[in-house]
Amino acid sequence: MLRRLWILLFPLLGAAQTPSKPANPYVGSEVCKTCHADVWLNFYKNPHFKSIASGKEAPEKTGCEGCHGPGGNHVAARGGKATIGAFSNFTAQQTLDTCLACHSKDISRANIRRSAHTEADIACNSCHLIHKPATPKFLLAKQQSELCYTCHASQRAQFEMPSKHRVNEGFMQCTDCHNPHGSAGSSGFVTASAGGGSAMLQPAFDNEEPCLKCHADKRGPFVFEHASVKVEGCEGCHLPHGTTNAKLLKRPVVYTICLECHNGAQGFGRENTSVFLTPSTHNLLDPKFQRCTLCHIRIHGSNSDPNFLR
Amino acid sequence: MKVLCKFALLALPSLLWAQQTVAPTTGETTGSVRGDNAGDYNIVQSWELGYRFAEIGGDEGKYRSDVNYGNGIRLLGGSITINSRDGHGSWFDAISLTTQGLGNDPYESATLRVEKNRWYRYDLLWRSNDYFNPALTVANGEHLEDTAYRLQDHEVTLFPESWFRVRAGYSRTTQDGPALTTTQQFDPQGDVFPLFANIREGYNEYRLGADITRRGFRLSILRRWEFFKEDSTSQTLTPLAGTATPFGGAVLPDSSVLTSFQTAQPYRGKTPGWLGNLYAEGKWIAVNARISYAGGRGDFVQNELAMGIDRFGAAQNRQVVVEGNGDRPVLSGDLNITVFPSSRVSVINATSVSDTRISGDNSFVEINDATLTTQTLAFQYLAMRLITNATDVRYRVSKKFDAFAGFRYSNRLIQSTEDSTTPGSPFQGISAQQTNQLRAGVAGFNWMPFPDLRVHAETEVGRNDMPFTPVSPGNYNVIRGRVRYAKRTYSLTGGYQENYNNNSIQITAYSSHSRNYNADATWNAKSWLTFDASYSKLHLDTIGGIQFFAGSPRATLITGEESIYISNIHAGNFSARIPITRYADLYLGYTITRDTGDGTSQSSPVVYNPFTGTPFFQNFTQSFPLLYETPLVRLSVRINSKLRYNVGYQYYGYHEDFEILSQYQNYHANTGFTSLLWSF
Repeated sequence: MLRRLWILLFPLLGAAQTPSKPANPYVGSEVCKTCHADVWLNFYKNPHFKSIASGKEAPEKTGCEGCHGPGGNHVAARGGKATIGAFSNFTAQQTLDTCLACHSKDISRANIRRSAHTEADIACNSCHLIHKPATPKFLLAKQQSELCYTCHASQRAQFEMPSKHRVNEGFMQCTDCHNPHGSAGSSGFVTASAGGGSAMLQPAFDNEEPCLKCHADKRGPFVFEHASVKVEGCEGCHLPHGTTNAKLLKRPVVYTICLECHNGAQGFGRENTSVFLTPSTHNLLDPKFQRCTLCHIRIHGSNSDPNFLR
Repeated sequence: MKVLCKFALLALPSLLWAQQTVAPTTGETTGSVRGDNAGDYNIVQSWELGYRFAEIGGDEGKYRSDVNYGNGIRLLGGSITINSRDGHGSWFDAISLTTQGLGNDPYESATLRVEKNRWYRYDLLWRSNDYFNPALTVANGEHLEDTAYRLQDHEVTLFPESWFRVRAGYSRTTQDGPALTTTQQFDPQGDVFPLFANIREGYNEYRLGADITRRGFRLSILRRWEFFKEDSTSQTLTPLAGTATPFGGAVLPDSSVLTSFQTAQPYRGKTPGWLGNLYAEGKWIAVNARISYAGGRGDFVQNELAMGIDRFGAAQNRQVVVEGNGDRPVLSGDLNITVFPSSRVSVINATSVSDTRISGDNSFVEINDATLTTQTLAFQYLAMRLITNATDVRYRVSKKFDAFAGFRYSNRLIQSTEDSTTPGSPFQGISAQQTNQLRAGVAGFNWMPFPDLRVHAETEVGRNDMPFTPVSPGNYNVIRGRVRYAKRTYSLTGGYQENYNNNSIQITAYSSHSRNYNADATWNAKSWLTFDASYSKLHLDTIGGIQFFAGSPRATLITGEESIYISNIHAGNFSARIPITRYADLYLGYTITRDTGDGTSQSSPVVYNPFTGTPFFQNFTQSFPLLYETPLVRLSVRINSKLRYNVGYQYYGYHEDFEILSQYQNYHANTGFTSLLWSF
């Protein structure tokens, strides 16, 4: 029985050990530049040139064939998209697989498989232009904000409003707050109550909202936290991209924001009883009480006063 | 070489056209053939030096809050890239530097990358923002800030292409400058006095980590230390008299006077922590596991001294001393597993656990006229434990069509304790605990009916059994859709998003309904002839039940009122780049934001006539119609092969069709720049 098995398997072992000429061999980037001189001429400025300069990478990770696959058939056929790995023919999944073969090293791309962009078939080359990029860093197809506006036109409108984060002015970038490659967890930070992962927010250090990376003074820990800020996040009162209202608030007048929560309705708040009603001493006909933050100056959290007065 | 320079200069103006602002954008085009060779390196650089002007009419504070461009000489933009031609430079293989607005623009930034293949990569980001906000409508202009906000971030990666990488980083953020704030003295009904404040905040972060990639696994470990300090102070130097308040048909006298006030609250916070991430990807499975811990702590002391006369005419001399600290350990972990059982199917499961415990205590001592009147010990605890699980299944029917569906569940436990007592007294605080559960389903598809036409649609329906606040997501649904047709020279995009949230409460139901429509068309007829136009309609209406105290001469509880808010924003953007001669390009741009409110163009009834004594909501619609528009024109003229002359003009017009709390903020501004762009 063993002898028969041995006889059957022996030819397979022999085949595995005998070097055979691959059907589609690697030809090297030097061959590619013969026809693709326009790409090659500037390729030394491209970060992917590292693989050629190194001289130590395997053929499947070097130069043109590192991304486009072996070019033997392509050369033999004198070109043609059908004989080479042309990204214009790839599905989004194929593009992602190809790029991740090298780029999964970076921790910022650890969640790309489950990002909203991947789910919407937004592949790497939807945003990155490898051979004719508009930015030397990250090889983006356009300046970052313009690139994002290509699909997110509503966000363009928000950043052009009177009160906004300065993205169009070039001071900030979308990636300061968002990770286009996907964020950690389905709700990567504690304040995401409704599956905040879809916004691909890039959380701050201790899993908080990205706002706190810059607005560190709002972070605490405070002795008296404004519980809704910690539980539901900054978006309870603010619209982060841009608004027609001062301080990126949801309303032009601050007390209308406060009253919508502080209405005494049962079943809300940290005690699960209500978000307490404004006291009877606050006669809202008095203009002083219409500007809540005139007295409640530490509305994001206070170390001294439970009512955020100091 | 001359040809290359010409090509470069033809390409450079495109850098100016990318953004709808008088600030020229920076950035380099690396895809074109250009630059000068120096030894083994190729160098491309351009610098734009110019003068910026601004003439403002109307509310200058609002202009500075929204726009803030001023007068003066600026290095409007600059860039330089140096690349090793063979990838074997002596000390570096690539340098890339970009700058924007240097020389006192309100938005200055610089980025630098230096790298040597296989050995190191260094990235620098530097930003400076002159921040101005008068908070006119929010705080009657008494919370003014005129501060400088500066950020820098350094990141060094050693052996960036190796299986073992070492990363180190440092970030620093500071905010300082003068400000106005307020304090209320000497009782809860007392008057509010403006104070001068000196804001001084600083944040430092240090990072050290390593990545190890072996046998298909990548392990990342990062250690971080964060330090935050605040040394802001505020004081008044001259006596301030209380202001009489028009109230309920009469003017209430207020005889309070703040003779002297000063407060300081030095704060020191630190957050050490670490992060571990394990990533592995095989042919049929990808796994990403992450765990992080951060132990935040803050210590503070506050000393406040107020002297004056209260509203009843009695002399007041009060000192408040508070000391204490807060702690916030945060532990979180994620496990994402993606399985590819076949080439057509992928299943993604993501589980996250996060635990945050915030506790703080302080000792509050109030001394009035040299008599110890109050000593309070406070303790607060707020903890959140969030567990989420999401599973998505995706099926690729063909190369042109795939569909996905998923289910998301989150369970959030919130624990709370509040206590305030006097020394020696037993605990009398309130402790509470609640659990929120959210269940949501998602579904969508991607469809490519033609090679250049892509359709994406998705929906999400969620139910939260116990929202934390009346405006939190309760019963919500979201619909998103996008259609994009893109050819090499033009593209058409249309999108729609609808969010609806309903949150029933006892008073009434809170609901929020937003509908966003957008359309975008781009035509790049030639590299020097482009048109772009977009339109967005952002509609939002919310309704929420409210209760409050109001009335004259005595406040009574007003119930059964609703706060209704309607916003109808039409936003448009148009830009065109047109060559007018062989040597000159013209850029035209126009941006408009118009909120038509509820369509009546009437002032908001938020401020009610106090002399009638009736409440001021009365189910009226709050809408705030306004117009904000910014036309823009730029002309760029080629002088010779290395120089271009640019001139730009932009108008800012802001007009409110309402008043907020008796405040008008309208302004207009004529701004622009003239510059020389030198590239070589």
